[in-house]
Amino acid sequence: MGLAPFAAFAVLFLVLPTAGLFVGAFQDANGNFTLANIAGLATPVVANAFRESIIISGASALLGAVGGLAVAMALVGPGSPRVLRATMLTLSGVASNFAGVPLAFAFLATMGRVGVVTIILREALGIDIYAAGFNLLGATGLTLVYFYFQLPLMVLLIMPAVDGLKREWSEASAMLGATAWQHAWRITVPILFPSFAGATLLLFANAFGAVATAYALTGSFINLVTIVLYSEIRGEVLHDPNLGYALAFGMVAITGVCNLIYLRMRAFAERRFR
Amino acid sequence: MRPAAIVRVAIISLGALYLLLPLVGALEFALRMRRGVYSLDAFAAVFADHRFQDTFLYSCAQAVVTVVLGVGLIVPAAYAVRRHAPRLRGVVEFVTLLPLVVPAIVIVFGYVRLYGTSSFLPLTDSEWGANALLAFGYVTLSLPYIYRSIDAGLTSIDVRTLSEAAESLGARPHTVLLRVVLPNIRTAILSGAFLTAAIVLGEFTFASLLDRPAFGPFMQLLGANRAYEPAALSVVAFGLTWGLMVLIGTIGGRRRGNRG
Amino acid sequence: MHAARVTTALTALVVSLGFSASAFAEAPAALIAAAKKEGQLTVIALPRDWCGYGPMIDKFKARYDLKINELNPDAGSGDEIEAIKANKTNKGPQAPDVLDVGLSFGPSAKAEGLLASYKPSTWAEIPADLKDADGYWIGDYYGVLSFVVNKDLVKNMPTDWADLLKPEYKNAVALNGDPRTAYNAIVAVYAAGLSTGATTTEAASDAGLKFFAELNKRGNFVPVIGKAASLAQGATPIVLRWDYLGLADRDTLKGNPPVEVIVPKTGVVAGVYVQAISAYAPHPNAARLWIDYLYSDEGQVDWLRGYCHPVRFNAMVAAKKVPADVLAKLPPAEGYARAIFPSLTVQNDTKAIVTKQWDSAVGANVK
Repeated sequence: MGLAPFAAFAVLFLVLPTAGLFVGAFQDANGNFTLANIAGLATPVVANAFRESIIISGASALLGAVGGLAVAMALVGPGSPRVLRATMLTLSGVASNFAGVPLAFAFLATMGRVGVVTIILREALGIDIYAAGFNLLGATGLTLVYFYFQLPLMVLLIMPAVDGLKREWSEASAMLGATAWQHAWRITVPILFPSFAGATLLLFANAFGAVATAYALTGSFINLVTIVLYSEIRGEVLHDPNLGYALAFGMVAITGVCNLIYLRMRAFAERRFR
Repeated sequence: MRPAAIVRVAIISLGALYLLLPLVGALEFALRMRRGVYSLDAFAAVFADHRFQDTFLYSCAQAVVTVVLGVGLIVPAAYAVRRHAPRLRGVVEFVTLLPLVVPAIVIVFGYVRLYGTSSFLPLTDSEWGANALLAFGYVTLSLPYIYRSIDAGLTSIDVRTLSEAAESLGARPHTVLLRVVLPNIRTAILSGAFLTAAIVLGEFTFASLLDRPAFGPFMQLLGANRAYEPAALSVVAFGLTWGLMVLIGTIGGRRRGNRG
Repeated sequence: MHAARVTTALTALVVSLGFSASAFAEAPAALIAAAKKEGQLTVIALPRDWCGYGPMIDKFKARYDLKINELNPDAGSGDEIEAIKANKTNKGPQAPDVLDVGLSFGPSAKAEGLLASYKPSTWAEIPADLKDADGYWIGDYYGVLSFVVNKDLVKNMPTDWADLLKPEYKNAVALNGDPRTAYNAIVAVYAAGLSTGATTTEAASDAGLKFFAELNKRGNFVPVIGKAASLAQGATPIVLRWDYLGLADRDTLKGNPPVEVIVPKTGVVAGVYVQAISAYAPHPNAARLWIDYLYSDEGQVDWLRGYCHPVRFNAMVAAKKVPADVLAKLPPAEGYARAIFPSLTVQNDTKAIVTKQWDSAVGANVK
């Protein structure tokens, strides 16, 4: 069946290699079974890291999802020329993976205290964004930077679904006397919702697992799970790989919970809107 | 212009502006390599390295392989799940989310342990084996994106009706897939392909630890402790990735009908 | 006469061979042959701009005609250890042969049975507290934590840690790593604490944390991980970094902007790295040849060219084996005379305090 090659691939190249991770989460340095690593997840530093990560990931996912949907819908429609759509999709593709140190530096060079745009705004327009309270190097700044790759990612992920919204449906609704709002609420939203929710979930996981960008931009300030995790596994200093595996296990568990919530929401939507 | 059109243009412009904004800073800084004047010195330094071409072409080739392999694996699987095993959908989705949260370094160390010299499938020993292993790693990393795109595409077309109609006309399963489903999810496949290509071109961890001559490690090599070259490199990489995508888009959209 | 000429010539030849042999005496022909048969060497975590490793690798490659696999130059010490563990049964080019890790990783890796012992011929000249008695790991180089300053943006050079608190350095001072995870950042905190006059490890760590909390409160601290790019761009005009990296940055930037590397007056702390051979190395002879090269006079001077002080530095300077031009490019020696080399116990204690308390003392939550 169609599922067999995929299942074999997933087992060989995804499940098996990461199985060691789940085993390692429950082992100590000598290989004996222990729950100490899991207990280590409850320490204030780690718990705080999880909280920060979830907040920033959630915020950037929601922002990216709404913004991406808006752009995708704007691209599909009678007024949009083919070239504009193709260009915007290509730009989205490129931007979606522009992350890590290069992105962090690009933002610093643009919107940092001595960034090009900051200076132009101040000298040419008299607007001092830093005096107004903006700070690139904090949780809001980090969310802004995450938004940079979340937005185009959403555009690309939701495009197939938005594409599938046939013009004929809105014309039919109009003919039947529905307002634009009614059409949106009763037709567009139910149809788009499963894909929207799924894509948002992916955006969340994407931000949740991101580390390079955060480390480069606010590495010594904001406490994120991925930074702690990487330092345990690779670190110069902490180097308790088993704790790192437990952290990864915790992240997988949280992603699993989010996935369950999403499945619930989708089932509900499918029932409600049939 | 009609108000709806104005809103449309405004949204797109805002989006595009935001995505191009950070490039401004990177570009301006890259041009400052020569003291006091704007010059292309940093760009010249980037292109002068002979490894630039070799590693870029290697990564392009890997991108193509990854896209073909990924789409080939996932489209039949997503279709099969929808038609024959809808209960498994949640499980499959969860599995495709894993590569986002499991650190790449854990996965690649897993590969080396499982497929090293003394394993049942010693891929690390030969050149082509290591290349294949890297491709598999890339497919794993792009799983979430390809699957989500295909899934959105399958949702938007009425897969059941389409395939039932085709089957009632006597089509065999693989014909249904190739000639009915695939052409209708072209946008979805293209989205997935874009995302995959971008990932492969920039990927570092897998390529470096598997000792493969890819673009990611080259970028790291050139830029780790420099100032101006990495900024130039990020601008160049941006442009090159764009080029690759235009190529993919052109090839993928070649037989497109009148649907935009 | 003819015979006398030949004899003189031969003697001269032998003598000159003897001199050059003393530079290469560390590499016996049998080892070279065995290494060449292996054909390659796999190194990990060696950025080309770090301690001059780039030219050193090229030189080694050309001299012995070996292929060098440079894995993951971005790797941390923990990565290197994990790479050995993952590749225990793999003999391909993904398995590292030699390591260059932080001091505290030497003993722990030895305890886990990941290292192979080897003593280069210059073993005796290496200080006892910088090597493992059985030869499992050997200190390779050290540097001190210094201020790397962008002279375009900073008019008055800070000379000591206390200077950094001055209002003229607003939004200027950055670390080169995360104090919760990176060795050099923890050393920076410890060094700042020492400069306040604290003497015990605990007092110094606490004082260091208070210093950075104050630095942050006054708005002088920038939470970005400072590097050459952010130094030049202006986001982090002062970076607290190992001196050899700062000096390498100075050279790379070629005066655009001009960079000064300042060793502080008080609170000078040195960081030591160690070399080791993997117990699972697929190319053990090539690995030994590499170690021989690194600890030969030539290798030690090559590290010095990268601004890293090699372990045999004092012995070699006393024996006048260091070229004058290389010495001239180094920062003044007085800075190094004041340097403190924290022992393993001190390192572990500082690490425990700083990593746990950084967030509550200085982190974003404090706002």
